[in-house]
Amino acid sequence: MKLNPMELYNLLPKTNCRLCEPKTCMAFATKLALGDISPDECPPLLEAGFEKNLEKLREMVAPMLSAEATGIKLDESKCTGCNNCVVVCPVDVAAEPPTSQGKAAMSTNTVFRVENGVSKIINLERCRRFPPDRLNCRVCEQYCCTDAIEIW
Amino acid sequence: MESIVCNGCSLLCDDVAAEVSGKTVNSLGLCTLGHTHLEKAALQKTKQAEKDFEKAADILTTGENILVYGWTHATNEAIKEGIELSSLLNGYMASSIDLGATQVMEHDINASGLGIDLEYVRNNGDFIIYWGSDPSESLHRHPSRFAVLPRGEKIPEGIESRTIGVVDVRQTETMKMANHRLVIPGGKDADLLDVIISELEEKSSIKDKVLGIPGSELVGFVNGFRKADCTVIFYGSGVINSGNQETNLTKIAKLVEVQRNNGKEAYALPMFVQSNTMGVEKAVSGVHSLQRISSGEFDTALIVADDALAHLPGPAAKTLAKSHIVYVGPPGGLTDKRAAVSIHTADTIVAGTGTMTRVDMNEMEFKKWKASKEDATISQTIRKLTELVRKK
Ligand code: SF4
Ligand code: SF4
Ligand code: SF4
Ligand code: SF4
Repeated sequence: MKLNPMELYNLLPKTNCRLCEPKTCMAFATKLALGDISPDECPPLLEAGFEKNLEKLREMVAPMLSAEATGIKLDESKCTGCNNCVVVCPVDVAAEPPTSQGKAAMSTNTVFRVENGVSKIINLERCRRFPPDRLNCRVCEQYCCTDAIEIW
Repeated sequence: MESIVCNGCSLLCDDVAAEVSGKTVNSLGLCTLGHTHLEKAALQKTKQAEKDFEKAADILTTGENILVYGWTHATNEAIKEGIELSSLLNGYMASSIDLGATQVMEHDINASGLGIDLEYVRNNGDFIIYWGSDPSESLHRHPSRFAVLPRGEKIPEGIESRTIGVVDVRQTETMKMANHRLVIPGGKDADLLDVIISELEEKSSIKDKVLGIPGSELVGFVNGFRKADCTVIFYGSGVINSGNQETNLTKIAKLVEVQRNNGKEAYALPMFVQSNTMGVEKAVSGVHSLQRISSGEFDTALIVADDALAHLPGPAAKTLAKSHIVYVGPPGGLTDKRAAVSIHTADTIVAGTGTMTRVDMNEMEFKKWKASKEDATISQTIRKLTELVRKK
């Protein structure tokens, strides 16, 4: 699932009051969509009159903020086996250092490994979005040119 | 799993592994293109019958005007054998890649020292431009192995340490990774190159839209050249098949020169698809064979590892089909079917021996593995044919 910043923006106060760290509502919405900020960090949103919007926003971003509710899906029919995910995933780089230099993953320790021409997630639980790290990483999705990887 | 070298495209990946058992082919690291190629190659049967060799040698020795054609999927060793056989037959050695543009590249780009080792690009290239080339379509692993994502000596953070630009006539998948995405009208490459060059030489300054690109975006792209220490332009069919390849390539060379004059490192490399294009470039210097093939001057043709009848433009293919064809290469395809005699060799990925030249002039040696069929290589087949021809 990907959140649409425009949809989120429409639920914000749209006053560009600069009370939040991103300073503008659009920038706030962009961060919301990435799970980098919580709706509660917009002070005007916590005031009376915005209850419904706040609730809706909390609902929408909940999956983004909780690493436990995260998931990664790899659509093999879209995958070209380019190895981009193997090379950019920080877990792979740590588990099999030559991948950081562009080499194909050969061990069974990485998150991704390209087998028979397509990438397979062989160790989903090692993804840093899951506990204990719970990091908001999504570089594999970002650099998969064919959009075969989807994170929610 | 055993370590192999893939010849699915000109990247000749040597960090991959495979195993074949019965009809099952498994691989690690090969992209989709490479795996599909390996599967096909591993299940093909070779056919090396003595009577076929005899018949082939007969056809070749009785032919008057002989075309010796193909080679982009043959090893350097096979090409060498081919040159020998061709001179013995007084034949005309030619390849599908000297039909036009690629030949220009050989002279303009590689001869003028614009090329560079791909490992060097990985270690140093901080401004990478795909110009009229889309690796996510053909050379799938180009960005991950060398140019965009991997870390290197001066590229500690991988893609975070590089700036990526894509110039194309349409949106491409590769643009997803790019910092600068420039969509220009077809055939306008030279114009854009002119604008960039003149901006870098401070002979003009961009104010308004150029070729539909907003001025600010273009200024940002040009600043990429200014900020970069090591610029590498990967140009592809969009530049070469646009009709003005000579102008385009001259201007790319000029852009590289301007960067160098400004005290920077800069290079330009082609993006070939066929596995041993570079090996052919080095060895075969046939010119404009297309006209000669179409004119019907060849009554006999030895076609090696290329489905020429399927790949040549219509009129040339039609004329060629009328000649006596000897086909040497993996089974399948139109040329194999129409040939007077065919000798089936193993594809080089399973042959597991010989070398091909990677696009950066590195010689990649194929690795022997369990599935290897070393006795049915193209190079051996041509050598045997040469011996027979010599005796006749
Ligand atoms: S605090 Fe809220 S209203 Fe103010 S700029 Fe940020 S998002 Fe907009
Ligand atoms: S989200 Fe990050 S850690 Fe998880 S698989 Fe993708 S790149 Fe690796
Ligand atoms: S980045 Fe995407 S297309 Fe490339 S191997 Fe990974 S999943 Fe497949
Ligand atoms: S990028 Fe080319 S050489 Fe490498 S695995 Fe894919 S097809 Fe084979």
